[in-house]
Amino acid sequence: MIRLNDIVVKFGDFTALHDINVHVKEGEFFTFLGPSGCGKTTTLRTITGFIEPVSGTVVVKDKDITHVPIEDRNIGIVFQSYALFPTMTVYDNIAFGLKIKKLKKAEIDEKVRDIAKKVDLSDEQLQKAVSQLSGGQQQRVAIARALVTGPAIICMDEPLSNLDAKLRVQLRNELKKMQKDFGITTIYVTHDQEEALTLSDRIAVFNKGYIEQIGTPNEVYNFSKTEFVCNFIGDINKLSGEVVRKILAAGGKVDPEKNNYVRLERLHVNVDVQPGQVALDGVVTMREYYGLYIKYYIDLGSQIIKVIEKNDGVCIYEEGQKVQVVLDPRDIMAYTPGEKVGEEG
Amino acid sequence: MNTTLEKKFHPDFLLRILGVTFFAYLFFGFMLLPCLNTLTSIFNVKNAAGERDAFAVIRFFLAGSMGKYVWNSLKLAVLLVITVNVVGISIVLLTEYFDIKGAKILRLGYMTTMIYSGVALVTGYMFLYASDGILTTALKNAFPNMNNSWFSGFNAVLFTMTFACTSNHMLFLRNAIRGIDYNTVEAARNMGAKPFKVLWKVVFPTLIPTLFSLTVMTFITGLCAMSAPTLLGYDSINPEIVRLAGSSSADEAFPQARAALLSIILAMFTIVLLTVLSSYERKGHYLSVSKTKAKLQKQKINNPVWNVVAHIYAYVLFVIYMTPVVMIVIFSFQTYSAIRLKKLDLSQWTLINYFGQQDYEYLTGRGKYKTRVGSISGVFANEATLGGIKLSFILSALAAALACVIVVVACNYIFQKKHKRSGVVLEYALLFPWLLPTILICYSYRTYFNSNSIWYVGNQNLYYAQNVRLLIVMAYTVTKLPFSLRMIKASFYSIDEELEEAARNLGARKIYTFLRVKLPIILPSVLAVFALNFNALFTEYDMSATFASTYGTSYAMVIQAMCREEGLYGYNVNASGRRCASTVFIMIVSGIILYLVYGVGARDLGERLEARDRRRKLFAKLTGKNG
Repeated sequence: MIRLNDIVVKFGDFTALHDINVHVKEGEFFTFLGPSGCGKTTTLRTITGFIEPVSGTVVVKDKDITHVPIEDRNIGIVFQSYALFPTMTVYDNIAFGLKIKKLKKAEIDEKVRDIAKKVDLSDEQLQKAVSQLSGGQQQRVAIARALVTGPAIICMDEPLSNLDAKLRVQLRNELKKMQKDFGITTIYVTHDQEEALTLSDRIAVFNKGYIEQIGTPNEVYNFSKTEFVCNFIGDINKLSGEVVRKILAAGGKVDPEKNNYVRLERLHVNVDVQPGQVALDGVVTMREYYGLYIKYYIDLGSQIIKVIEKNDGVCIYEEGQKVQVVLDPRDIMAYTPGEKVGEEG
Repeated sequence: MNTTLEKKFHPDFLLRILGVTFFAYLFFGFMLLPCLNTLTSIFNVKNAAGERDAFAVIRFFLAGSMGKYVWNSLKLAVLLVITVNVVGISIVLLTEYFDIKGAKILRLGYMTTMIYSGVALVTGYMFLYASDGILTTALKNAFPNMNNSWFSGFNAVLFTMTFACTSNHMLFLRNAIRGIDYNTVEAARNMGAKPFKVLWKVVFPTLIPTLFSLTVMTFITGLCAMSAPTLLGYDSINPEIVRLAGSSSADEAFPQARAALLSIILAMFTIVLLTVLSSYERKGHYLSVSKTKAKLQKQKINNPVWNVVAHIYAYVLFVIYMTPVVMIVIFSFQTYSAIRLKKLDLSQWTLINYFGQQDYEYLTGRGKYKTRVGSISGVFANEATLGGIKLSFILSALAAALACVIVVVACNYIFQKKHKRSGVVLEYALLFPWLLPTILICYSYRTYFNSNSIWYVGNQNLYYAQNVRLLIVMAYTVTKLPFSLRMIKASFYSIDEELEEAARNLGARKIYTFLRVKLPIILPSVLAVFALNFNALFTEYDMSATFASTYGTSYAMVIQAMCREEGLYGYNVNASGRRCASTVFIMIVSGIILYLVYGVGARDLGERLEARDRRRKLFAKLTGKNG
């Protein structure tokens, strides 16, 4: 569907994107994830045509659109700011693209009302000015405006970042549902890993203008290809040399030459040790109560390790309490120190 | 090959060529060349022997014959800076910072200078204070020994301009003081600072950048003063330039070159001051760090004595501001005899000063009655006045619109990223007239285009007959470019870049995007600039007086003439009455425009829709009741 081949983007002397290669399949929800300044928005803007790459090609449905003008690409976009036209009503905002296509008035009206219904905007809201709508409603207008012209692809640039936490979760679910209903190929940009993991079919993790890994949420989370990815996604413990030695001494398989990481939820406190698992003694130094789960900081002697336990109301450990941390060495993700990033997609 | 050809004849490319040609024509043809001509004319002077003497004018100047004008202008500028700042800061503090009873009414009074200025204001003050003015006449009756020509020359100019030039304080200083984070005031009070200490140590420092700009602007206004010195009789630079420009070499030594030299001196002062101002502005100033600003609350003056003094001071200023306005409005509805005698006649009210036309009958020295047909006439019945209004209206509207269009097109270009360098060049070209006093520009036009050999205007003499109107429109437009650019450019910053991208993404071409998306956003600001330009030009005096052409007699020139032509046996028996009515007319026009700009124009679409809904509901309610 969309192929980015060896895309390089430069701003003056600064190379913003290094040989980006991505293949997004038809109907896929594909997310560009990474910290700010990593190149994810730049990649998105290269697809929509706001940025022209120095080299490389953008191919959509086997057609090279690298040099096609923005207005002829037929790729919809929802901006972070929504970019709704403040001088037009909601209706006129949505109808804007259709008017440019010179559709008949009746047809425009039908399409606008149809899409408005789908994104849950009332007739009354259509006649309002965008400034009279709430953040969530504005976002719906932006989506409706991007979808109404029937684009082949829709791009979304952090569309939830302007909303408060509760609305974000609510709209996230609606967004996913809408994408499924419309079946439209979606490219989604975010720095929020939770958003990326919950929404996406596949994720590309960006760092400093390179793609570090492309994979399903499970692959990216559980089988992080690089040290950056495993650090960026989710919370994780980097095991100290001392802890690694303890694991080795206990018969666990681990390479002390590498940087070894283990996720918080893969560690357990005071459970029976199964064959192949390793138990380490420690003392609870701090406890953070989250309701759904509890995060323990456990001193293993040479390092404090974080562990998450489901809040079942039975086993709650106090600060200062001696405990046993059980881990399975197969859950350890190991990376060669100083390994160069710069991964093809 | 094909693509390069296509690129060459692409509409965008042709449009750009057209744009570059237009702006080059405007800059070189109507800014640089005429002004350079003025500059060089100083050195092309011929002496009595008919030889070219490059330094004759400068020697003349240094010999002391012209220094008086420069000195007078400087004296006026320096003193104005002091008096205008004292009054300007006072009125802003009294209405915005201190808790003074009736502040809203006071503010309206202090803002009256925004609806009438220049000639209209000066003649208003003259109506009260001149030797035959209402107040002077009243005082003279009370104190027969009083010098009734106290209101003339330097004192009168300083007095009038002190109150006339506080509009900018009311606009900018008021905004600055309203922008203060009240939490900083509370914090200072909390740490034990007394109210006046807070004012001095916390509030004032945040106002200094604004005060600095206002000071420079006031200084330039004083230096370039025109209508007050002309009408009140004070020998400063600008009136002298206009006089010299109309003089001939048969009467005095190289008058034109002397006018040019004075203009250049004025320009040099302006350039120095503006350079100081912009380098000061560029340094950057304090930035408010607060994210949640608290609204300023009025400060009560706790000391009862000071409180009374402040109230008295506030109301004295109010009376000074309001008296001319009230008197002019009242007298504009009085008969010509009441105006002539400067005595209110509460039994007779009339609209004659606005719409009337009457014959005037008078007794001659030989004891015969004579009739002057239609010599008592109102603003809208007097041919000359009506002509001035029409001309000023058309020329001002044209120029105000032209300046806006030019600046909008230019800003659209400047704000495109790829035009970074050429955009800066264009911007500076449009700001160029800012460096020059308007009088210099007009004077340069008058001398440069008074010739049949300027090829780029088709070898037409633009200072000849009706052509002068075109010249006035150009002068109006050019002098309004810098102000328009500053204001409209600010509004372009409010366009979110993503809006343009969104429009293009939805398939809109550049021009469509500009017309449908960007223009509607900046339109309120553009209309505001148009209105302010129009307001200023409609009553401007300085420029049309510099052109001094019978084909370009502006409204302000007509008003100015009314001050002189009034006579018992003349054709303009009620010139004073018409002058009053004219001033009222100007106040109404300006008032409506300011209301449209700041009242209606400032609303966004949401507010307009809400207002529409309210109107509809009210209408439904009314018709529902009636039905």
